[in-house]
Amino acid sequence: MKIPLASAFLLFSAWAWAQDDLGSQGPAVKMAPAPLITAVQGKPATVPLSFRVAPGYHINSNKPKSDFLIPTVLKVEATTDIVIGRTTYPEGHDMSFAFAPDEKLNVYTGDFKVDVLVRPLRSVQAGKYIVRGTLKYQACDNSACYPPKQLPISFDVKIAKAPPAPHRNPAQSPHAHH
Amino acid sequence: MKRNPLILFFIAAIVAVMLFAGIRTARNNRANYPAKGQLIGNLAPDFELPALDGKHLKLSDLRGKAVLLNFWATYCGPCKIEMPWFVELQKEYGPQGFQIVGVAMDDASTEDIAKFAKEMGVNYPILLGQESVGQSYGGVSVLPTTFFLDRDGKLVAREFGLQSRSVFVDHIKRAMSQGHAVQAQK
Repeated sequence: MKIPLASAFLLFSAWAWAQDDLGSQGPAVKMAPAPLITAVQGKPATVPLSFRVAPGYHINSNKPKSDFLIPTVLKVEATTDIVIGRTTYPEGHDMSFAFAPDEKLNVYTGDFKVDVLVRPLRSVQAGKYIVRGTLKYQACDNSACYPPKQLPISFDVKIAKAPPAPHRNPAQSPHAHH
Repeated sequence: MKRNPLILFFIAAIVAVMLFAGIRTARNNRANYPAKGQLIGNLAPDFELPALDGKHLKLSDLRGKAVLLNFWATYCGPCKIEMPWFVELQKEYGPQGFQIVGVAMDDASTEDIAKFAKEMGVNYPILLGQESVGQSYGGVSVLPTTFFLDRDGKLVAREFGLQSRSVFVDHIKRAMSQGHAVQAQK
């Protein structure tokens, strides 16, 4: 029984290795697995998404310094149960490159983090929900640029029940009854 | 019967190697099609594209001239460095039967591309690129990508990314020295 399993593993490894090689072509931005965030019904929570730009490349920040440059933008798909709030981008680094030594570009390199605010509706059932979206970016290296790309992203949000509202006693007043 | 699992493993090993090699080969064929060897020395793939001025330009109409075909985009910083060189080179070698053609591989609007070209003082035609044209040149996944065509329309060189000005000059001289200039006289 072990040998057939080993055979299957071998085949899968070959397939995965070849696929990984496919993915290694060109500049890449990858997202680290997002932490599981717990949000309470009706309350906002922040989901930190971590990205990594491949060494040797840079991508424009969310606020590049020229209208001609393509900003990095995270688009999160609207869901019926969770309201997607503000997306907070980090500030980019002002950097100059060999192709334009006199010009500073505002870019992300290495690791950067984007925060997404989510707020489950009060009426949503407790449980785990998946949220999807895309990160649009455009990368360059020191001598060339690459067409804009869209990286599919997803993260889970665990929705917990809101604590029961504190019980209020009706006001006791001697004048309440006539 | 006891050997069967071993045979299975042996077959799986062979299939795994073939699978890996097959996917790699398929990827290489797709990424480089047509491969460099197939492009250089052959007739440049012909195309007709709209220019910023509203007219259409057909590449084969430039036969008789050496052509520098530059794929670029407004978002491409290195492309901006080359453009002033191209303006100078067009002025310098244009009278000798040389033509630069820019192909904008851009999602930007025509107005933005025109604005950019005007800011750069471009003195050569800028065409609005299409993915199919890029694919016919092996896929333009790196910008700038520049091709050099001799007077017969044959590809003599290709450069990916920003190069030094002298590299361009060398290729231009080579392109102008090859092929027939007859049609340029008409």
